[in-house]
Amino acid sequence: MAQFRLQGSRVLAVDLAGDTVKARNGSMVAYTGQMGFKKLSGGGDGLRGMVTRRLTGERMEVMEVKGQGTCYFADKATEINLVRLNGETLFVESDNLLCTEATLRTGTSFTGLNGMASGNGLFTTKVEGQGWAAVTSNGPAVILRVAQGLPLRVDPGAYVAHTGNLHRALKSGAGWSTLIGEGGGEAMQVEFTGEGLVYVQPSERMTLGGEV
Amino acid sequence: MSYPPQPPQSPYGQQPYGQQPPYPPQGPPSGYSQHQYEQSHQATQAGMHVPPPPYQASPAGQFGAPVFQPPGGDAPQVWDAGTLPADDNVNPYCFSVDLNGAYYLQKGKMIAYYGEMRFSGIGRGVLDRVLEQNFNSPLHASDWVVAEGRGKLLLADRSYDLNSYDLEDGNLTVRSGNLLAFEPTLRLKQSIIPGFLTLIGTGKFVAASNGPVHFVEPPIRVDPQALVGWADCPAPCHHYDHSYLHGVIGGLRHLTGIGGASGEEHQFEFIGAGQVLMQSSETLMADRSVGVVAAEAGVPGAGVPHQQHGGAPGLGNLGNLGDLGRRFGL
Repeated sequence: MAQFRLQGSRVLAVDLAGDTVKARNGSMVAYTGQMGFKKLSGGGDGLRGMVTRRLTGERMEVMEVKGQGTCYFADKATEINLVRLNGETLFVESDNLLCTEATLRTGTSFTGLNGMASGNGLFTTKVEGQGWAAVTSNGPAVILRVAQGLPLRVDPGAYVAHTGNLHRALKSGAGWSTLIGEGGGEAMQVEFTGEGLVYVQPSERMTLGGEV
Repeated sequence: MSYPPQPPQSPYGQQPYGQQPPYPPQGPPSGYSQHQYEQSHQATQAGMHVPPPPYQASPAGQFGAPVFQPPGGDAPQVWDAGTLPADDNVNPYCFSVDLNGAYYLQKGKMIAYYGEMRFSGIGRGVLDRVLEQNFNSPLHASDWVVAEGRGKLLLADRSYDLNSYDLEDGNLTVRSGNLLAFEPTLRLKQSIIPGFLTLIGTGKFVAASNGPVHFVEPPIRVDPQALVGWADCPAPCHHYDHSYLHGVIGGLRHLTGIGGASGEEHQFEFIGAGQVLMQSSETLMADRSVGVVAAEAGVPGAGVPHQQHGGAPGLGNLGNLGDLGRRFGL
């Protein structure tokens, strides 16, 4: 069973005993023991997943790491958040998914216009099953709880991932004043309702809605 | 699943900042409330250590949310509208505003919020009155947004360090790109020193810096790139180190450039009572346009917009037409 732990906050250490993890291609920074790295084509979801990923643009370069010892992963000194899944689904931008246990299934999910606004395409990556996943964020992620009657609105550029039974809706604060250039700067927001957790990073990606 | 026991790690993998006490023991300068200042400082510090989680972890899979149990002992903190700090740091890079009324913030710095809020650009008809009260500067209104409503508002800026400061009938001058948000009880003015903004009055504001902020006492000379701002200092001035240019060799070096410079010949010098705020890196934050001051004799930098970034050169002259180029990201 692969053991995930954080070495500092920006390096993920995975202890492997002959088992397998899937990680972003090229994210290994060091390892001890014996490791084999195998590039998986098309995100490692098999042929169907490969075609889906190609079609949806939610492309992931994934490698399979197998061996005995400890393998260290990192990505551009971004902060790493460990998420333990027990049969739930984690929705995450493919850019932010660093490593998953081999027991987890990854796939793509349609997000519609929400993804469009966040500049990440119309699809997002779905991780489900039992095991650990490592999610990167630019700056330590703030985990926000959404409950009934307590909706949360998030800037699409700061959204990283979410879990739980959440409904996403794109809210537009843009009105006539946005068109004449007096907009509030937060014209695009994603509203989360339902119950679950949302991961937000203290930084904003460049987004389509960012400048209005 | 069992995990190897790990020593508890410091939150965010950082050691607590070795900051100077915000104020010297010999008493606060006039116009400042030591209590307020320290409180604010403490609060920021407290934000750096994760406080004991007020939210007790719910039973596993209560509503399909995963159980967070990193092998380090303490689970990552989950925040909600009730547990988010009021006007304090969530972590060194994220600030939570307990909004009840209005707050001014730089455009695009909201990352998330709970509650009912409206963000509107400053300069809309309804807000003209508010604008008159708070913006006594030619600061371009399109860079600022007023958030109105109730709830918890999270601010962050490219994962720079955020700090909040309390002013009590005081003044503080800060680099335009570093100021993130401020309470409407403060008045914002453009400093005579180009590229800086001055906040006057009583209230709280949030500023970003590249690396934690250090408070230092004048007399001091600081590197221009490391300067974030200053409070109460009467005399900020340039200081050039010309000694290396003296003599024949120095003159040659000056004329020819042979021999080079250390890059530290120019500093900002501060004299007088007050505090100087320094960031711990020499990476400048992108400056915000502070607008154009009236072209008048004796006004430093008059008629010249400082630190104009972004805008296409051809559109730069649109200026007060609304700075369309910059707004549309051209």
